[in-house]
This record gives sequence, structure tokens and C-alpha cells, in this order.
Amino acid sequence: MSEPGTATGGGAGPSEDLAVHLDGITKRFPGVVANDDVDLRVERGSVHALLGENGAGKTTLMNVLYGLYEPTEGRVLVDGEPRQFDRPRDAIDAGVGMIHQHFMLVDTMTVAENIALGNEPKKWGGLAVDRDRIEREIADLCDRYGFSVDPSATVGELSVGAQQRVEILKALYRGADVLILDEPTAVLTPQEVEDLYGVLEELTEQGKTIIFITHKLGEAMHSADEITVLRDGKSVGTVEPATTSREDLAELMVGREVLLEADSDPVETGRPILSASNVTIENDRGVEVVSGIDLEVRAGEILGIAGVDGNGQSELIEAITGLQTPDEGTVRFDGDDVTNWPRRRRIDAGMAHVPEDRHEQGLVMPFDLVENAVLGSQRSPRFARSGRIDWAGVRDHAEDVIETYDVRPPTADAHAESFSGGNQQKFVVGRELERDPELVVATHPTRGVDIGSTEFIHERLLDLRREGKAVLLVSSALDEVQSLSDRLAVIYEGEFVDVTDPDTVTEEQLGLLMAGERPGETTKSEASDLVEGGDR
Amino acid sequence: MIELPSRPDRRTLLVGLGAITAVWVVLGLVFPDSWAGVLLSIAANPSTHTTMLRLAVPIALAAIGGIFAEKSGVINIGIEGLLIVSAFSAIIVTFWLGSGESTLALSHHWWGFAVGVLVSTLFALLFAVVCIDFKADQIIAGLAVWLIALGLAPFVSRIVFDSPNTAGVGYFQNVTIPVLSEIPLLGYLLFDTPPQVYIMLAAAVAGWYLLNRTAFGRWVVASGENPKALDTAGVDVRRVRYTAVLLSGIFAGLGGAGFALGQLGTFAGGGETAIGGRGFIAIATYLFANYHPIGALLGSFLFAGLEAMQFQLQNLGYAVPTELIRTIPYATVIVVLVFVGKTRLPEAAGEAYDGDED
Repeated sequence: MSEPGTATGGGAGPSEDLAVHLDGITKRFPGVVANDDVDLRVERGSVHALLGENGAGKTTLMNVLYGLYEPTEGRVLVDGEPRQFDRPRDAIDAGVGMIHQHFMLVDTMTVAENIALGNEPKKWGGLAVDRDRIEREIADLCDRYGFSVDPSATVGELSVGAQQRVEILKALYRGADVLILDEPTAVLTPQEVEDLYGVLEELTEQGKTIIFITHKLGEAMHSADEITVLRDGKSVGTVEPATTSREDLAELMVGREVLLEADSDPVETGRPILSASNVTIENDRGVEVVSGIDLEVRAGEILGIAGVDGNGQSELIEAITGLQTPDEGTVRFDGDDVTNWPRRRRIDAGMAHVPEDRHEQGLVMPFDLVENAVLGSQRSPRFARSGRIDWAGVRDHAEDVIETYDVRPPTADAHAESFSGGNQQKFVVGRELERDPELVVATHPTRGVDIGSTEFIHERLLDLRREGKAVLLVSSALDEVQSLSDRLAVIYEGEFVDVTDPDTVTEEQLGLLMAGERPGETTKSEASDLVEGGDR
Repeated sequence: MIELPSRPDRRTLLVGLGAITAVWVVLGLVFPDSWAGVLLSIAANPSTHTTMLRLAVPIALAAIGGIFAEKSGVINIGIEGLLIVSAFSAIIVTFWLGSGESTLALSHHWWGFAVGVLVSTLFALLFAVVCIDFKADQIIAGLAVWLIALGLAPFVSRIVFDSPNTAGVGYFQNVTIPVLSEIPLLGYLLFDTPPQVYIMLAAAVAGWYLLNRTAFGRWVVASGENPKALDTAGVDVRRVRYTAVLLSGIFAGLGGAGFALGQLGTFAGGGETAIGGRGFIAIATYLFANYHPIGALLGSFLFAGLEAMQFQLQNLGYAVPTELIRTIPYATVIVVLVFVGKTRLPEAAGEAYDGDED
């Protein structure tokens, strides 16, 4: 199937207008070949997606281009000229800019200060920074590319999408002609993703070249002019979205056939495992963020909650899992009133939780995976004996999780922070699902995870359901909640707007509900407008 | 859950202090013979003010130095040690040059002053190597700087003078600026004063400018908040941090040497030495001032002012136990920190930066 448009190793002549040409790049680390003879040809003024699963070598390849790594073999050509980049500065000087997945911004400084950092124009013989000139140049850039940012705003107070635009401006300010974006959509809301596509279009129209690292098929198909697929460090083909299908692309990427939609055959539901009634929560500022929510999840059932982030999902989940106490209402778990139970007692009773933020809540970053594997179970008889932890047993467990959930690289001794986001997520999901829980509360369980592993996590959730466990699934990815859930609740401003049947509801209807429209309130034309925002 | 009373912010604290001061002034004016009246007359006494400025020198300069180090991400609690070594070496070099006479030519004092600053800078360099290149714990390395200084100064003094205390070497003379010193109220304070006070005032302004208006100042802030952002922007984090720590050595050295030659005239090496914890008060001062160099200067006036009033009280012969009065600055530090404990440390303060960890 890799025939259509394969350009790998092709003999295209030098007449092609290539902004970036990576020629036979091999990068070896001790014991690992991260990139194996990879060719990449990026045409000027195009959006080129670099697609691959977590650990396929996408980021390594781009770090070679950005001067963070020196290639073991191969050449880097920018504008047709062979270049050697020893450090990012060299790449920046050659017009290559990189927007990292975790933004390289100083939160306490202003937009202007961040954009100019390291390149400050001087005045008075170098005695002062020419701040007027920075603001003028930023205003020029904003005019040209249709951005709107306030140069005097503090970066930490901006939304994630706005911070990303500051990063892009920072690269443009340094004269970048080639912009590398590493997983740019991972942290964005669906609306912000749409905005980003608009920005990319504007940039390429003005002659900039974009390299877009992603593991999401839909994004590559939607935004790229060409897609190069990496698998296990090798380039397995370059295709054009017009001449390929999602299924073919998925197969190219994973190396086998992939079920893009998990299939949920109906299962007999049993007793109610989780029920919440009239849960009401006020935040620190006294604003009601969850308003009298009732829900019930039965054994053998997956209840999905869809909604735009920040509509009370986080607080509701915290009340259910015991991270905060609701101001009103009760939470019952397997027949017991657990409203005031501490977190530990809920874990012991069989409530597993995949938290929404793996950095803040799921993992301790400077711990290795063995230590992280025991978090939450450090007092369970399985791993603890009279207050001492059985580290050998924990290590076996950690290695099991790593193997089963395909965490890469498969080393239990590495610190959590050294893994990529997707692999961190796989580890957290693995740890929680392997607790043998009665109830799994999973928030964004596949955020940042590649499709091969997403498929696996979805299968595991469906397995649990078949075994008669209950699953409460919160996700902002509509296809995920829609394909897995038995019932799908839509949350808006702390209330369930509707509980729908995921098999019959359309994405358009869901988009409307997520925007707060009550069922049966809108006309057709309004509907199609709102979907752009609600859907991804 | 227990609701903790919310902490008043800096503004509330300043307003509170202002109110207390106002009540005190009114009481003092109405009842001149009461305690309030005596304290008021001391506080209004010009010699209290000049003493305050001189006593503020080590605190303010060490605080300004500490701001640069900490803003860049290196917490330098060794500035107490830097004050000690600079004060001691300034005195001993002046002594050697002038054979111990107290009627020295001015130039000997300036040589001593320069060497004091240099020694402090060298200690700061040592601290920087240990913290930045060898990634040692900054708090422990800072304590080491202090403890080494605490032992080294009296040790050398004992070899040279056979006593932990050095001989006296005299003082810097006041530098009077004509005309300006005639300005009523402020003239005698700001324009008829020893050189170290001019240095302190200039350093506060220069420090503020360097931190807030130059590219280097922005790099220092970025280095302390998100060193990786600075690194990817093409600026060498290591070089920024070295420069910032060396600056803390230079500023602390100016403070220590200036205090020794302009105020002490000799160096007592016993116990906590003549520096007596002023470096630690400096740390409290810059936290209180939220890393603002001019704020740190004003904050140092608070502590130095209390100390100056205590000297005046003793001069007037009031039978207040000196030990008790000597606790006032430290008690003030605690009170101030309780009220403004919210100072936010730079995000990456205290962490060594490892640029290759990707």
C-alpha cells in the first residue's frame, strides 16, 4: 500500500525548491538507533507533516535539524546548501526555528521580553534595550501574519493557544523561514487547533515552510501538503493526503492494520457501582462550577462525559475520586456513602483514577518508573509488608506495566521526566488499570498517546467493561467518548445538558450540546456554525 | 478544613507600619518626656540618620548582590561569609600597607578596599564553580562559604595580631560635596557622608537599571525562571549565572569593605564577627523588597535605623539591657517575614541547570 507518492530515496533533481533536505540521516544513541537512514524533503512554502507513533524518532530527527543533536551519519541541507549545526544558535542563524512541545517561555516576563530574549536590540551603545523597537517589530510581524497579541501582557497570564502564538512570533522575530512545530496541538483546545491551522495557512502563504510533528492522523490529513511517515526510526514513505486514506496511513504508521474505531458490543449491565446525586462544588473564588449533577455508572457500563475543558469536569472528577469534598451532594460507591472518604480508602475499595494531568497528578517526575509504579499502592498488602515496601515485587509490577502497555524505552530505572508525554501517559494508564479496580475514572486517558497504544488502551477499557467493571470516561476527544461509551453525558457550565446515546447522536448535535444548546433549541443553520467550535 | 487567616500583603504592612509611626509621633510630640517622646527625639536626631546610612551599607549592598544571584537561579546564602572576608581583608591589607598606624594616607584605605572587593569576588567565584559546574546543593555550599569565612578571618587575625581582633586602621573621611551639602534636611545626609554611602546609593540605582533595563538583566531573570528557554534562545545559561554570582561577590565586597573601612575601622573576629549576621538580614531584606534593588536599599534603612536608635539609646545612658535591644533587628526580620512571607522565589532558584538532559 505504500506505493502512492512514495518519494523516499527518489532521484528528484536539484531543481526542486527544497527548503529543508535531510539526506540519509542516521542517529545512534548508545544501544539505540533512533533514526536509521532517514530522508526528508520539504518543499518551500509547504506544510510537511512528520507522522509517527511515540518513539518513532520524529523528535530526534527534528533535534538533528535544530542543532540539538549531531547526526551520526547523513547531511542536513537548508536551501540546498549543506549545513552543520552544532547548537540551536547555528540553526536559528540559518533560518530554522523550533516551537517545542513544552513552550520555552518565561512566564513572569512580558510577551515582548520573551520574543526578544537573547536577541535584544540595543541602544545607547548597548547600555539599554531598545524596547520601542521590539514593540514596533512585533507589531509589524502581527500585521503581516494576522496575529493579535499584546506585547506588554505577561506570558503566564495568556491562554495556551496565545502562548503558542508567542512562540511562533519568537521564531519569526529571529528570522525563521522554516518552522518546526513539535506536537503543536497536544495542549490546545479544539478551537485553538482551528486557529492554529489558520495561522499555518497564513504563514505558508507568506512563503514560510512548516514542519509539523504529530502522531494524530486527522491533523496530518487536514493540515499537511505532504506527509512523511516514520516507523521505528525509519522513513516508510511520503504521501499526499489527497491520494491516501486514514486507514492506509494508519497501517503505514503502525505497520499493521489498525481499528480506528473501537467496537463496543453491548454488555449486560449489573448493579450500580458509582452513583452521585446533587453534587455541587464551589471553587476557591466562590463560583459554583458544578451545579447539582446526578450520575450513575453500572457494572459493565462505560459512561462518557463530553465537554469543552473547564466546564466543571475536573472538579466533578475530583469529588468522585476523593481529591476534594463537594459542598453539597453525595457520592456512593458500591453501596457505601463515600462522600467523605479519603482518597486512600477509595483506592483500597477499588476505585482507580487516571488523572487529567500526568505531570501534576499522575507521576512524580524525578522518580523512576519503579517508584512511580507503587504510588497509590504503597500500603496495599500486595507491595507492603509491615510498613516496608517490597521493591523487588514493585519492580516486577513496573516491568509488567511497561511491557503490557508498550512504554518506550522499556527501562524501569529511568526517571519519569525522561519519557515522552505519550509514554508517560501509557505508564499511568497501565498502573491504574492493573489495580484490578471495580471502577475506573479516566480523564483524557489517551491524551498525547499514539494510535497503536490508543487502540490498546481502548481495548483494555472495553475488556474491563466486559469483565463487569464500571468505567467513567471524561475526554475532550469526541470520537473517543463516542465510540467507547454506552451512554454519553454532555457537560456545560457545571451541568449535564443532555445524556445521549452515542450510537445515534451526531457530531454536530454533540458540538451544539457542548456549546450549551439544550436539545431541540437550535435551527439547522446555527448548528453548522457552532460545530466548528465544538468539534475538533 | 481549617481556614487560615489570610496574610496581609505588603501594602497592608506598610500602611500598618505607617499608622504605628504616626501614633508614635503624635504621642511623642504630646508627651515629650515619655518613652515615645525620647524615642522620637532620638529618631529625629541628625546623628541617628547619618549612623543609619552607615549601618545600612553592608545590608543594602549584600542584598543587591544577593538579588542578582538569586534572580539568576543561584541562591547565595553565603553573602554573610562574603561580607566577613571582604571586611577582614580590607582591614588587614590597609594595616599592612600602613604598618598599623591609624593616621594613614587615604590611598592605603582604597587599596584595602579594592582587595576586600577582590577577595569577596574570588570567594563568590569559588561558590559559583561549586554550584554551577559541580551542581552542589546551593544552600550547603552557601553555608560552607559562611563557615569558612567565620573560621578563616579570626584564624588569620590570630596569626598576625595574636588576637581574633585586628588593630585599628582608622576610617574613611567624609566626602563633602560643595553647595549640594547645604540643602536643608537632606544635604548633610546625602552629600556630606563617607564614600561607602555614595557607593551604596549609586549601587542601588545601578543595580535596578542593570536588572530591569539591560539585556543582561532580562537574561538573569530568564535564567532563574526558565533556564531552558534562555538556552534555546541561544544564550549561555552558565555564563549568565557565573556573571550574576560574581556580581553578588562584587556588591557584597563593596558592602563588607566599605563597612569595615568607613564604620568599623577594625575587625573583631570573635563569635559571629563584627559583621554579626548582617548578611542574613540582607537576605531577609531583599525577600521583603521582592528582589527590587531600590526596595532593598529602603528595607535596609528599616533595620539599620533600628540599630542606629539602639546606639543612641545607649549613648544617652538608658538602662536598657543591650542584649535585649540587639535582638530588635532580628525580631523585626521575623515579624516582617511573617507578614510578607509570600515572596515568590524564581521558578528555577536552587536548581542546577543541566543543558544536556534532553
